[in-house]
Amino acid sequence: MAGKIKQMIDSIIDQRAKDNPMLERVIKTKLILKGINPGKYTLQSDDDPVVLGKLEKMIRELK
Amino acid sequence: MNIKTAFSTKETVDESVEDICRQFDLFDSELVLFFASTKYAPESVSKKMQDAFPMAQVLGCSTAGEITSGKMLENSMVAMAFNGQAVKDAKIEIIENLRDESSVRKALASFESYFNESMSDMDPGKYVGIILVDGLCGAEESLMETIGDLTNVTFIGGSAGDDLRFSSTYLYAHGKGHSNVAVLALLKPGVDFTFIKTQSFRDLGKTLEVTKVDEERRAVLEFNNRPAAAAYAEAVGVSLDEAPKRFMHNPVGLVIDDEPFVRSPQQIKDDGMLFYCGVKEGMELSVLEGTDIIGDTREAIEQARKELGGISGIVNFNCILRTLELRQNNLTQAYGELFAGFPTVGFSTYGEQYIGHINQTATMLVFR
Repeated sequence: MAGKIKQMIDSIIDQRAKDNPMLERVIKTKLILKGINPGKYTLQSDDDPVVLGKLEKMIRELK
Repeated sequence: MNIKTAFSTKETVDESVEDICRQFDLFDSELVLFFASTKYAPESVSKKMQDAFPMAQVLGCSTAGEITSGKMLENSMVAMAFNGQAVKDAKIEIIENLRDESSVRKALASFESYFNESMSDMDPGKYVGIILVDGLCGAEESLMETIGDLTNVTFIGGSAGDDLRFSSTYLYAHGKGHSNVAVLALLKPGVDFTFIKTQSFRDLGKTLEVTKVDEERRAVLEFNNRPAAAAYAEAVGVSLDEAPKRFMHNPVGLVIDDEPFVRSPQQIKDDGMLFYCGVKEGMELSVLEGTDIIGDTREAIEQARKELGGISGIVNFNCILRTLELRQNNLTQAYGELFAGFPTVGFSTYGEQYIGHINQTATMLVFR
């Protein structure tokens, strides 16, 4: 499977930044500091379970 | 004036607290933030500051040097008082188990209950958090990560110091002194605010990819699939023996949108390197070179002043490594003078917090 990481990153940024460019930058920075660089993932990127786990946790925290 | 500052270099806790109290006389202090050298007995300084301001919420920590308007100090106590117009409301929480996410959640749940608003819904333009954390706990990264996952509100702050003894640091809140904790304060300012994150480095264009780490120890074992120390030494163009001498001038950083999030090397251990800040496998770190702390800080303050249209207060969390460099170059007076025009308090930290945990940086909360 591929592309799930990119989809989850986009979803996190959409949900949290709500079209606020400043917040979008902050959330991208938080992801990079976690070791997840949004710029490195495309819809063709492999679904690394470790990265998926970190993103799933972030999504859970939003609820 | 809605924000006032005071400092004291007197010898005892009693004398210094009285001195600060006198300087805040007739000011309607609702929140008092103070930073104190460990020469002031940590067991009593918090209680005496709280007793001196019984109507205010009081928080602070121990330091490795203090900052106030126009001055960098040592062996002193500095304080900032806010009235109800500067800070409309505030709540202080202590996180006792720094490695336990549920402790962080509990503190944030308390904020939610107090302000009657979910942390995830709070407007980061209306609330701001201050974080003071034990400077020897090594847990700042996970703490900031958990807070950052739960809210868009910015928490900015510093890791407490102990005058370079590296023995015990202290956090002060609710009239008590604590070690191995974090103190969080969630503020609802009555004035606009912004942040400064300034570090004085340029990117040398050399990248070290972290290929093997021991995250728990903040250790990088390999850069670019080679022993970390050797790869670093080669990147800065020195022998392995000479490499530690370059740590302060040539740290590494995670560069995001041209902005370095500095990771400062601490020592070479075996073939690897220990850092003052966590690094993760896969991170691409840029080798940095020190530039002009005074010029860059001046520019950052000026930008904040223009953004806000004026400054009524600055809380400055300034890395001890920056302070040591300023001391080495006889620039502490020049640095202090950058803040001469603004009510300022701050301290030399063992780590800085802004979005994440960083090194060799000054993070500042600036009020209009």
